[in-house]
Amino acid sequence: MILDCLGKRCPLPIIELAKVLTDKPIGFKVTLLSDDPASAPDLIAWARMTSNSTETGEPDTFYIVKLAN
Amino acid sequence: MALPHIFEAAWPDPSKLGADSKSAALLLNEARETFAGHLGVRSDEINFLGEPNLGFHLGISGLISEQNQFIFSNIDRMEVFALSEIHRSKMLSVEGTGQISFSDLERTDVACLQLCNRETGIIQSSRPANISGLFIDATASGTRIALPENWSTALWDSTTWAGPSGMGIFAVSKGANWKNPLPHLDGRINPGPASLPLIVASALAIDSWVADEKNLAAKIAAINTDIRNYITANIPDSDLAPGGADHLISASFLYVNAEQLVTKLADRGYPVDSGSACSASNMQPSHVLAALGVLTQGNIRLTIHHVTTFEEVKDFLEILSQTITELRS
Repeated sequence: MILDCLGKRCPLPIIELAKVLTDKPIGFKVTLLSDDPASAPDLIAWARMTSNSTETGEPDTFYIVKLAN
Repeated sequence: MALPHIFEAAWPDPSKLGADSKSAALLLNEARETFAGHLGVRSDEINFLGEPNLGFHLGISGLISEQNQFIFSNIDRMEVFALSEIHRSKMLSVEGTGQISFSDLERTDVACLQLCNRETGIIQSSRPANISGLFIDATASGTRIALPENWSTALWDSTTWAGPSGMGIFAVSKGANWKNPLPHLDGRINPGPASLPLIVASALAIDSWVADEKNLAAKIAAINTDIRNYITANIPDSDLAPGGADHLISASFLYVNAEQLVTKLADRGYPVDSGSACSASNMQPSHVLAALGVLTQGNIRLTIHHVTTFEEVKDFLEILSQTITELRS
């Protein structure tokens, strides 16, 4: 799925991402669109803290895979 | 001496003739000796700056000519980043622990060494060697960390020893290959006379601060451990930045808006700083936290002062925990 958080400021994109992932199975993939300057560093920190995976794609585009509940 | 008395005694221009000016000149010399003793430099290497951050340009650009490359790191201060734009520069990246590897430097390089990072307290352990010039950013370490032997220029900020703001101390080592980068006609290093009353006030402050620090260092270290342990054990989804200097802690909390957190803590009597984008004037997250891979959202920076008590910290931590729970719900 695509989660469009363009125009939303920190910490909203990561809060919305966490909400979306709550009831999803392991392996679920989300493409997060965010132009907030904190999203790039914070998605890396979020993935480390919550044992999930994130990769940066084109500008403002992040590929997230749910790896933990 | 209380501040109004300092202003009465130190108003004359110490460079003029006359009895009043002579006593002002004596005050200035005494202050110079006081700083030299605490900072580990010669008194004739000391210059006072009314604009502390001007010392970054004086200290760095003064060491660089066309053949030199400027080496700095991604956790240096923004003032250093700005200077890297006007010189041929190379940025080093810190490891996750915040340490910088200064190997592979060339003899013609000029490096900036930040003894202590003012956001996180990270203390650099490596020392650049065999280079053309070494600028020391001591604006967060103050008197806590000694200068390396091969320093060329160094900058301190009076606020680190609880002295007045608007007072920087800039030193040029006698052996340094340094040229004044500012327009100048004479040998003076700082462009304007700094305020003598502020210099005297800062000298009094550094004397009492150093004496207190000896007695209070163990308490501050214990409070630092208490805070780190409490956050790790009691606040879920928290991320502590690597530290070093005991008086500084930077902590981030997932799913928390830092602006709301800082405002609520201030309302409850606890003024804290933040490195999050939403609390920054330029809306950018802290480049230090980003370089370290530490979460930048929901960030607060704590400073443990000499007067901070264990009871105060215990109350603060409970309020911090409550406030974060409120903001997350």
